Amino acid sequence: MRLRGLLSLPGVPPLVSLLALLALWQLAAAVLGIEGLPSASSVLASLPGVLFDLESLAEIGASLERMALGFAIAVATAIPLGLVMGRSRAVAGFFGPLLTLIYPVPKAALMPIIMLWFGVGDFSKVLVIFLGVSLPLVYHSQAGARAVDEKLVWSAMAMGMPARRRVFSIILPSALPEVMLGCRVGIAMALIVMVSSEMIARQSGVGNLLFNSLDMAQYRTVYATILVIGAIGFALDALFERVRRRLTFWAEAREDAVAGGG
Amino acid sequence: MIEIERLSKTFRTETGADHAALLDISLSVPQGQFVSILGPSGCGKSTLLYIVGGFVRASSGQVRVAGREVTGPGPDRGPVFQEFALFPWKSVTGNVIYGLLEQGVPRGEAERRVAKLLEAVHLKGYENFYPKELSGGMKQRVAIARTLAYDPAILLMDEPFGALDAHTRTLLQNELLSIWERDRKTVLFVTHSVEEAIFLSDRVFVMTASPGRQKAVIDIELPRPRVRSELLLDRRYQETVVEIERLMENRVE
Repeated sequence: MRLRGLLSLPGVPPLVSLLALLALWQLAAAVLGIEGLPSASSVLASLPGVLFDLESLAEIGASLERMALGFAIAVATAIPLGLVMGRSRAVAGFFGPLLTLIYPVPKAALMPIIMLWFGVGDFSKVLVIFLGVSLPLVYHSQAGARAVDEKLVWSAMAMGMPARRRVFSIILPSALPEVMLGCRVGIAMALIVMVSSEMIARQSGVGNLLFNSLDMAQYRTVYATILVIGAIGFALDALFERVRRRLTFWAEAREDAVAGGG
Repeated sequence: MIEIERLSKTFRTETGADHAALLDISLSVPQGQFVSILGPSGCGKSTLLYIVGGFVRASSGQVRVAGREVTGPGPDRGPVFQEFALFPWKSVTGNVIYGLLEQGVPRGEAERRVAKLLEAVHLKGYENFYPKELSGGMKQRVAIARTLAYDPAILLMDEPFGALDAHTRTLLQNELLSIWERDRKTVLFVTHSVEEAIFLSDRVFVMTASPGRQKAVIDIELPRPRVRSELLLDRRYQETVVEIERLMENRVE
């Protein structure tokens, strides 16, 4: 009984599963004893080395900066495009097939071509992050705009709202719960594309950090870096969930099913 | 004053066939009259209302409001929908004030008018609630207040009480009548309930199903203000109910 009460406390089940994973890892490392799988405890011990190293902090900072920039540009362009696509058959017909074609292509696979054109610098990486974030954002915004109750639009029109204001005053807020789901997928995508683009165009960033350590057979640092990337993703998602809840508290409850994929 | 003249509406169905929803409808509603459009579901009565609202285009014929042909929506015709169509991201006050601000009414003046309206529809104390926190009856009160706020000359009501339970429905019918008796707006009221149409209206426009055509126009000469409990005992009311129900029964031609 006491155990069940303890397990029902918020935050306890994830902590338990995390500890279980670490224990399993520790055990596997001890049993297998291979060089490529350092023990959980040794990886955790090397975490401060990654986190408090000025150089790696700068790399992580540079990565996050590019990620934020790519994400922001995607939000500013893909959401309006998706909303208009959801309301206009002509616009959807024009962009739809194009986007469907690019959707399943892993964005990192475009990196070599983008590098040919724009080099290995920030621009290419921001561009590929932007591409990765844009597609789920367009998709969710379009679905959200398409599902807007026609009668909301009619009500606003009867009040005298001009057509040019409709997208931002009626369609965007109506579709916001769906748009925010798109943003959540977008954050995961941004992180994935960010790391993979840096693994291909190795100049700076977390992905570069990861592969440099791998090259030098510093396996503990490799694992520690992966943990850091995971933690960044977790923190960004938790932060975004707070923002999302605050912005769409008025929405009827729905299942927050989020489809990911890289 | 609404003049509907030889109005027809044909839809293209998914399979590509043409489906006549409305056929040759003519109806004229003088200012201040309460007219119900009564018919079985699928008779195109809501479509007729949407065309008057300017939300849907007619295939042929025309609608004139105050002498001018309807080409689109306008604040002279205020819709109230069965599904309420409230802005879910706005509070009760936010919903009701929306049209006023859209019309350029200064905020202070708009706030005063909203407070008065919310009192009239018994929503005082719910100003900061959001639609998802309200019952169906309260949502429809908000929707009615929102439409009354910008003071349209004509109310277009599309089965507004159709989604409510019987008790709330009766309550709101009474409230609507008392509001209407105060400012006597022109009302087009779509319903499939014979009793509701007779209780509320000056005239009932009965339609046939698919394609929607005029079946009969019945004048309701019951005295106002109407009290439901008295009407139920009134012979003329009972006879009108029977007359219209018989009309609706033999609709299969």
